[in-house]
Amino acid sequence: MNRVFAFTRRNIKELLRDPLGYIFCLGFPLVMLIIMTLVDRSIPKEAVTIFHIENLAPGIAVFGQMFVMLFSALNVSTDRSGTFLMRLYATPMTAADLTAGYIIPMLIIALIQEAITFTAAFIISVIIGNTLNLGAMFICMLTLIPSALMFIGIGLIFGVLFSEKSAPGLCSVIISLGSFFGGIWFDAENTGGVMLKISKCTPFYYCTKSARGAMALDLSWKEYFLPFIIVIACAVVVISLGCFSFSKKMRADLG
Amino acid sequence: MLAVKTTKLTKKYKDLTAVDCLDLEVEQGELFSLLGVNGAGKTTTVRMLCCLAKATSGEAYVMGNNCDEDKKEVKSIVGISPQDTAVAPRLTVRENLMFMCRVYDFDKQKCIQRTDELIQTFGMQKVADSLAKTLSGGWKRKLSIAMALIGEPQVLFLDEPTLGLDVLARRELWREIESLKGKMTIILTTHYMEEAEQLSDRIAIMIGGRIAAIGTLSEIEEQAGTKGLENAFVAIAERDVEQ
Repeated sequence: MNRVFAFTRRNIKELLRDPLGYIFCLGFPLVMLIIMTLVDRSIPKEAVTIFHIENLAPGIAVFGQMFVMLFSALNVSTDRSGTFLMRLYATPMTAADLTAGYIIPMLIIALIQEAITFTAAFIISVIIGNTLNLGAMFICMLTLIPSALMFIGIGLIFGVLFSEKSAPGLCSVIISLGSFFGGIWFDAENTGGVMLKISKCTPFYYCTKSARGAMALDLSWKEYFLPFIIVIACAVVVISLGCFSFSKKMRADLG
Repeated sequence: MLAVKTTKLTKKYKDLTAVDCLDLEVEQGELFSLLGVNGAGKTTTVRMLCCLAKATSGEAYVMGNNCDEDKKEVKSIVGISPQDTAVAPRLTVRENLMFMCRVYDFDKQKCIQRTDELIQTFGMQKVADSLAKTLSGGWKRKLSIAMALIGEPQVLFLDEPTLGLDVLARRELWREIESLKGKMTIILTTHYMEEAEQLSDRIAIMIGGRIAAIGTLSEIEEQAGTKGLENAFVAIAERDVEQ
């Protein structure tokens, strides 16, 4: 376990010393939160409800997690591109130590990001006179943990399978598709038709839906538990695939 | 007991034979150089000895431990400084060393003691709190070697340790490597003749994955019938091509 902590500590330090991490993981979601609140204030209140702070905050939180995926992919692919991992392969560290050491720091970053996003959302909600429920925010933050793990898992898989140049590009594709099909910037439910059917085939839709259900304190089966269970299942599958692909790649590197 | 012993060690990548039936014996405490041009099989040999690559056939032993069957034991007694400077760029010199101490499961006190010891040994006091990415090539190599020494290895592998360094940095690193002589077995790969000549107790010239000549400098000169390692290397390489 000490080796996992050592590697976790190393990864957290490296991530926190990368200015891009602050810009993308924290800055960008916060900027989008402010801009979309301004957009919401500029359009008729009943026209688009998706940008109301209680809907916007969970959506932005999911959006931010997609950047954690990007950093997860970058972290792994950069280590793979040099000989640093090779050095660690020659030590008593195992594949399990290394994968845990990649996942834990990203989860910590995702939790910090969530806390900052929701704190900012709460401040905004107070300013605009639509104060968010603190209990609902807390349940929403807990609800978002499996989706954070799912995005970290996707990042791990991309980092293992692709180079440090192609992994970020692929993550950008996921960020675009995820924001679109996750219904972060529009109400997927109200679009209906093929768009809704496609959205429902992606895990992103359920990430946003369960988070919004939690924020609305609508903990019904349809609005909360079903999407939440789907996200948990996806997280388990993706994280398992990530661990498997890392371990397989390590064996191939040592072959 | 020999520090390193290989018997008909072979590594093939599809149609390419990187290492071909290598028989090698290295005594404990020796500084042994694998000399050869790029693609001669030096790095592949080191990788197999460090359990970083699986031999296609043949056997390799490090301090009596089989590299294929006793990987855990081998990994606990070897240290490697890879060809590229394998350091964590956004950690300081001290943090890099502390990280490696924790990888070897040292307690807090030993982590601090070992880190300070290596900073002292390599004269890295003035860069100890600088981020690794800001260091010059020479300092990075020193850090890389220091990291390889953290686990107090019995056998240290230095893969092209001075590659790409300027002449002053290279000479300084030679002095550091020379200071390690006798304290552990060192296997060094290089394609710089002067480096092998200056540092090694014995040299093996590798050509096309095989050992074309092995011995002390004078023994190699005798085998080649020339004076100086560079002339001997060229003579042996040409003879090998003709055969």
